[in-house]
Amino acid sequence: MAGKASATPATYSPSPTGHRKKRPPTLTDSDWIRPDGRTVHQCRPAFLRTGAVNSASGSAYAEFGNTKVIVSVFGPRESKKAMMYSDTGRLNCNVSYTNFATPNRSQAPEPKDLSSMLHKALEGAIILKSFPKTTVDVFALVLESGGSDLPVITTCASLALADAGIMLYDMVASVSVSCYGKNLLIDPVSEEESYQDGSLLITCMPSRNEVTQMTVTGDWSTPKIHEAMQLCLDACSKLGKIMRTSLKESASCPHD
Amino acid sequence: MRPIDANYNSMATTNDLSSEMEVDAFRRLFPLRFHERHLLESIRPDGRPLGRARDTTVMLGAVASANGSALAKIGSTAMLAAIKLEVMTPTMEAPDEGCIAIDFHMPPICSPLIRPGRPAEVAPVISKQLSDTILRQAITRNYLVDDSASFSLNVHCLCIGIQEKKTKITKRMFLTSSSFSSHLYKVAIISEIPHLSSGMIDMKELSLVSGKAAWMAYLDIYCLDADGALFDAALLSAVGALSHLRIPVVSLNDDGRIVLLSDDNAVAMKENEPVNKEKRKLNLNRVPYSLTCILHKNYILADPTSEEESIMETFLTVVLDSSFQLVSLNKPGGPGLAHTSAIQDCIILTRQRVGELQKILNEAISDMEID
Repeated sequence: MAGKASATPATYSPSPTGHRKKRPPTLTDSDWIRPDGRTVHQCRPAFLRTGAVNSASGSAYAEFGNTKVIVSVFGPRESKKAMMYSDTGRLNCNVSYTNFATPNRSQAPEPKDLSSMLHKALEGAIILKSFPKTTVDVFALVLESGGSDLPVITTCASLALADAGIMLYDMVASVSVSCYGKNLLIDPVSEEESYQDGSLLITCMPSRNEVTQMTVTGDWSTPKIHEAMQLCLDACSKLGKIMRTSLKESASCPHD
Repeated sequence: MRPIDANYNSMATTNDLSSEMEVDAFRRLFPLRFHERHLLESIRPDGRPLGRARDTTVMLGAVASANGSALAKIGSTAMLAAIKLEVMTPTMEAPDEGCIAIDFHMPPICSPLIRPGRPAEVAPVISKQLSDTILRQAITRNYLVDDSASFSLNVHCLCIGIQEKKTKITKRMFLTSSSFSSHLYKVAIISEIPHLSSGMIDMKELSLVSGKAAWMAYLDIYCLDADGALFDAALLSAVGALSHLRIPVVSLNDDGRIVLLSDDNAVAMKENEPVNKEKRKLNLNRVPYSLTCILHKNYILADPTSEEESIMETFLTVVLDSSFQLVSLNKPGGPGLAHTSAIQDCIILTRQRVGELQKILNEAISDMEID
């Protein structure tokens, strides 16, 4: 691909005139007005649906605002030849972005990094012993990136795993929070992510109250972290309910 | 597979497998016999008559971050096409023309046969076919010299299909090079080609400032679910995205770069005359539509599913434009032979299909304009 890119003439996407995008001043006294008009502790409306891809063993489509993700699950199927014998099953994750996912072409984040994050988030929830010697493949494609990509991918992947009938301890729900000045912004959009001082992401199994993944980056104070964690966990349990509902819906009417 | 193997072992003791075996097991063990038995009854496993295509939908504007996009579904085959416009410096040869780069992707989500890191073999083939179909103007220009020109264009289009799988075709292709043109001539007569002129898109419409700036349209097509007739669905989504494309209002700033003009800063930027005054769409001439058919023995199966494609391996893809002129005809090898009568039948099926597809696309366009 590198050779191909250099062969085509250099192009650029036209940017809006006038105001340069700059970080708004840090707000200390007033609340930050979110670009999509939400309150700071309000998540974007979540749309989840299973069975998006017929040729996969299980699949799901997730739409949180402008973030749109499809995840397909294949398997359990034969592991790669090079793999050693294993008593437990293997999980293989891959995340990719479409060329038009981000506002500027080919500015997509490093999918390698996301793939391994997704792997670690899901690993703890899957009963790997239930499919020895075989592999379950989880492939995600981000159709449009609108912020909080990884939590949406993880949530969608977990729903796809459930749709594929893979044995799970519980479904995992994932939510992130951005810290910006004095405000904690739940489920941030891309614009908010680019301004943030720090971010916190929690992936948990809501009905077992267990956390499979938590990452904290940036500038945080201890009380803020506590507050943010509580926000995330509450949102995760709500998201878990939505996931359950969509799974029940697809089970009650399998083919529309 | 395991439960069916067990089923097979228990059935092996009886003499007549087909009468006692479960339908699903029979389908997996003897796929060809399963399908041929259906064909005898002039019906297909999914209940369609042989010549009918699956339900088709087109939704425009599926991707908010793109300048034009469309989601096309043929049965369970789903394709998402989106166009992003960027600015480039036009070439010296064509200072007032833009460019379209078409790429077809098969991400691992779309099929169990595709693994990450190993791209599907068919993806570049379809990519090339799509470019040839949509950007056929470039070819036309070279050949439009005299009356025989339209004819040589078709030879060229056919050759594209042949070159791609040259090794496979040399023996299996039904036409030798000498009989090739005469057969082709018949094909040409069937579809009554008067003259082929310009292509689908006038590249001059993508020009901004002659010699300085022009649009580079990146058209990316992603297969979301692969269940046969990939080229047909990809072409439909590409055409949908092109008809949804809106070229934004831009102007040239003092540094010689193209910038977007939005409503808020339109007043401030008044001294810079907009290069593209209003949001406009592209004029599409002779929109191409395609139909893939399987040729199996004497049967012609329109719009195959991936199961049918994996069992019966001879395909013929016909592309006709909106005035029913032949754009391309592609038979990428395969064990079966194609008789001229079969090709004629395929073209007739495609003509019917073009009517259907035009209706679907026009409905999608009018739905969008109401919103």
